Amino acid sequence: MSMREHIWSARAVVGLVAVIGMLAAAGCSSSSSTSSTPKSTSSGTPSTSAVSTSQCGTKPGVAATGTPIPLGAIATNQPGTSFTDIPNMAAAYFACVNANGGINGHPIKLYIETEQTNPAQIAADAKQLVQTDHVVGIVGNTSIIECSVDSSYWQKLGYYIIDSGIAPECYSTSNSAAVNMGPRYSSDGAVQYALAQHASKIVFDQSNVPGTGYIAAGPSALAANAHVPIVQLTENVPITDADSVAIKEVDDAGPNGAVVLNFTPPEALVILQAAQKLGLEDKVKLWGCSTPCNTDFLATSLGPKWNSKLFVNAELTPPDVTNTTTMKLYEAILKQYGSAVSGGIGSFSQMGFTEAEIMVHALESVTGAYTVASVNAAVKAVKDFNTGMLCQAWTYGSYPMHIPNNMDYTVTPDNGKMVTAQGCTLISAVDPQIKAYRDVAGTAAMAP
Amino acid sequence: MPSWQDFEPFIVSGLALGGVYALSGVGMVVLYQATGVVYLAFGAVGAMGALIAWSLINAGAPGWVGWLVCVAFGALLTLGYGMVFGPLLAKRDPLVKAVATLGLTLVLFGLMDLLWTTSGGQSRAITLPTDNGGFMISQIQVDWTQVISLVLGIAITVVTGVFLHYTKLGAAMRAMANDREITATLGVPVRRVEAAAWLGCGVLAGVAGILLADLVALDATTLTFLVISSLAAALIARLRSITITFLAAILIGLVHDLLTPIPSLTNYRDATPFVLAAIALLVLSRGGGRVLVRSREEA
Repeated sequence: MSMREHIWSARAVVGLVAVIGMLAAAGCSSSSSTSSTPKSTSSGTPSTSAVSTSQCGTKPGVAATGTPIPLGAIATNQPGTSFTDIPNMAAAYFACVNANGGINGHPIKLYIETEQTNPAQIAADAKQLVQTDHVVGIVGNTSIIECSVDSSYWQKLGYYIIDSGIAPECYSTSNSAAVNMGPRYSSDGAVQYALAQHASKIVFDQSNVPGTGYIAAGPSALAANAHVPIVQLTENVPITDADSVAIKEVDDAGPNGAVVLNFTPPEALVILQAAQKLGLEDKVKLWGCSTPCNTDFLATSLGPKWNSKLFVNAELTPPDVTNTTTMKLYEAILKQYGSAVSGGIGSFSQMGFTEAEIMVHALESVTGAYTVASVNAAVKAVKDFNTGMLCQAWTYGSYPMHIPNNMDYTVTPDNGKMVTAQGCTLISAVDPQIKAYRDVAGTAAMAP
Repeated sequence: MPSWQDFEPFIVSGLALGGVYALSGVGMVVLYQATGVVYLAFGAVGAMGALIAWSLINAGAPGWVGWLVCVAFGALLTLGYGMVFGPLLAKRDPLVKAVATLGLTLVLFGLMDLLWTTSGGQSRAITLPTDNGGFMISQIQVDWTQVISLVLGIAITVVTGVFLHYTKLGAAMRAMANDREITATLGVPVRRVEAAAWLGCGVLAGVAGILLADLVALDATTLTFLVISSLAAALIARLRSITITFLAAILIGLVHDLLTPIPSLTNYRDATPFVLAAIALLVLSRGGGRVLVRSREEA
């Protein structure tokens, strides 16, 4: 090969580096649509789970055969970020309801659209659900930007969304109510716990993505109110130098400080593992993390060194240590109908279960035809509903903003499981958004 | 500006990362020299090998079995690809050869996304026994994995250099880099030499996959695209010199990590490979231009 070819090739490769990115993005840009009616994965032999799942409907063992009630969901599904477990779990719950009487004999059909963080695609997904699938309600939405893109569209058409929120608009608009706290209030919870343990300094580190300023505002307000200095850091993801990130965090926090992370589980894991390898886990008072870290995958991967050293905000009732009827029903439905829920037991499937529970509760109150108007009026009217999965009773209501879940648990790893470190605790109203919500909606009662 | 003490810990992590980049970069340069193929699937092959190793270890297999399978997977897949597509690509344009490996990258990337999904918030990790031991240099903890990464980077560079200069097979590879056709007419078994290069590159992909899964993260996206740092090192060496590739890889790892404690630059440190490669290519092409002008004048 000649010198010229060598040089040419070297130049060509620079172009190829850019092509890699473009092709990877192109590979992600397709949308998929699935109408979900999950098949039962259990055999006909009665089992504990089969008996338990009959509780999800009003007519145990009688399949609903009426006209389907069409509902829709939009979820992010791209390499590295997939929230499809949430609508898939909602679909599993609906499948259970359909097998046990449905809603007054009507089965629920959930249309799930997936998107790849493309605003035009997300807007088209919403239109498809409305104009093609004729959905009468939206439940199970979980997307990085869907709330920002579609909020006004849903508002115009009179849809009141039950979702798992990420973007600010999921919490700050009149027609979106989430079952989770989202990154901001979950980070608030983690920082609040660290402050309660008398951390002398907070280092709050999160992904360097749009919206970090909005999320950081909550922890900043809490730290300022406690007169504790806070260092705000952001990291490009995926993290390729976790050792450096961990060293920087620990250096900034100091021996009596706390490092609080707001990352997806894989990113949080690489930071925590790097800290462990470098012997840094004991160099700060404690480590904190927002809800995504609340997964047994993470607890298992980390090992016992992090027992009572890492404290994770948990927006939903910890499944490992809860033995209620609702939790058993959730586990039974997951086992029998949740073959599409790849993550199994965990926050994502709990959110899907809770959203479906609320929607079924709303649908059961509808009298007459299931239309956009009647279904969404019923959704909006949900008040003080005990989901069995949250600290508080859940309310939609006619409010300009919705943060119905604002009371959290704190969990910590315990030999591969997450166990409760602190029971239900209200997120502080020092965060101006929480205060604004409580000013209009009050403070919901604790769930019985 | 942070003090020197603030920078010290980042030297160790930068050297370790640079060592693995060097290992990968050297593998890519050797393969390019022998076949003319820029192996863009290097990262994806290592990533998939590491995920297979994770699955085996998680299913109860001993750690060493997982690591060996990872290396074997890298070697066999790369060799298989080289044997099937190498002859078909031999006379094609270098860009076509590189894009063909990009195809393999995307296939593997899709497979990994399908088989090791992250939709339920799954997080995976591979830890090596060498993570738990180590020593302190002043106040800085150095673990054996970091030492192994750097030492392996140096060792692979030296051994490859010796191999290319002092063995028959190495000489054949260098000859093929100059002219494949003439080398073939001289009786060199071109296919066998190419197979050796593909195999060696695959072994290095597997080794780098395991080390990077431990040092960086066991994540398909991260590992697949980490190849860019190694590629930048290889580009700085103009895909020719393994010594320069090694030095460039170490420089990339060091600069990347040393930018971490500088608040105004920390969020831009991921651009290090691109910036260094761009600077090197600009400087080298200017230098190359001068050489060409001089030779024309001399002629």
